Amino acid sequence: MEVIRNFPDSELVANIRSGQRMEDTIKAIYRGHFEGLCWYVMNNSGSRQDAEDIFQEVLVSFIELVQQDKFRGESTVKTFLYSLNRYTWLNELKRRGRALAREEKYEKGQVHIEMDAGHTIADREGKAEVLKVVADLGDTCKKILLLFYYENLSMKEILDQTDYESEQVVRNKKYKCLKQLEQMVNANPALRETLKNLIHG
Amino acid sequence: MDNSTPGMDEKLVSLLDGDLSPEERMTVEQQLAGNALLQQQYDSLLATKAAIRHFGLQQQVGAIHSQMMAELNAPVRKISPVRKMIRYTSAVAAGILILVAGFFAYQYFSLTPEKVFSANYQPYELNTSRGTTTNSLIEEAFRQKKYEEVIRLRDAATEPNIKNDFLAGAAALELNNLSLARQRFASVIEQNKTANTMVLNDEAEYYLALTQIRQKDFAAAVMLLEKIQQDSGHTYSAKVKNGLLNDVRKLSEQ
Repeated sequence: MEVIRNFPDSELVANIRSGQRMEDTIKAIYRGHFEGLCWYVMNNSGSRQDAEDIFQEVLVSFIELVQQDKFRGESTVKTFLYSLNRYTWLNELKRRGRALAREEKYEKGQVHIEMDAGHTIADREGKAEVLKVVADLGDTCKKILLLFYYENLSMKEILDQTDYESEQVVRNKKYKCLKQLEQMVNANPALRETLKNLIHG
Repeated sequence: MDNSTPGMDEKLVSLLDGDLSPEERMTVEQQLAGNALLQQQYDSLLATKAAIRHFGLQQQVGAIHSQMMAELNAPVRKISPVRKMIRYTSAVAAGILILVAGFFAYQYFSLTPEKVFSANYQPYELNTSRGTTTNSLIEEAFRQKKYEEVIRLRDAATEPNIKNDFLAGAAALELNNLSLARQRFASVIEQNKTANTMVLNDEAEYYLALTQIRQKDFAAAVMLLEKIQQDSGHTYSAKVKNGLLNDVRKLSEQ
């Protein structure tokens, strides 16, 4: 049986920075903040589906900002998430061309704690392009690159999960896959700009 | 791509993967600092790695999202009014049952021979007969609650006397000398049986049963109490209620 627990902010941030217990940490954020953030979107012209999509984007942005040390702990995780949520949703409304004056007026009164992170979270289409380009990579390459660069597995551990003969063969394959993806990224200047913002904020 | 240094591309990937020794790393970083094209090449690798990590994170959040929506949106089953009423009634009934069971459990576990004895014992009192002016010494001592004197006078008597034996038994019971009380009451019953009389026999039987309860001889007490209860002409028949018999039986089960 799964043990459900809440993390204090400090533990939550430490887990994200170290990449440890990510699944439990993400679940804790859902349990602690999903309903509140969902309520905001649904009470500002959004549907339930909008709220769910925005929450996922907010969560990804939050984790990336923490990993880039952009979350300095000047506010609570809750306040930070609520600001990201508001910012992301209002940008989405503007993109849809139906942002209400009332919402803009309301937004001007808010404290923008995340302004220096604006580049990281604003480029919704750019991020969709990032996902698309990686998704277009072959399944084998995608698997090896994710195991190495996202799961942080060693070559030996990746060898155990694949059918290759040796670690060296896996290493060569990983190199080729990385170069293939690099070419695909470089073929799209807008994509590179998005990734640059993702890295540097 | 910078082809001026053979194997540089592999070295940049090794730097990206954290596979270089500190010395190699320092050398490559120095080369990067002095070569804009090389730095651009490394930035390109960093961007590629960022793309993979972003994709991985998005996938992980997406997978957890499905799980969490199932958990957070778990439907709350609506209960029909009839089922709701049945549920409340059952809850109330269960509550009452627990209270009743608790009451009986308390009664059962808090039952002691002393409690049963105290609830049913009344010190024996001698009747005051009008016109009677002369009382024996033993009766006088009993009236004055000089119980040790009662026992001494009975032992000093030269002739056996049923009444003296009974008063000595009642005095011993007051003094909590249970074995003597039992002996004296039994003697009263025995003497009546021998003489075919009933002098203070009912009293002796009742007080003997109480003495046996206090002595924890529950089997003997139950037998005697049942005899008293079944004998409608017995002086103490009405006093031996089913409650008393049940209590003594429960004590014998403990």
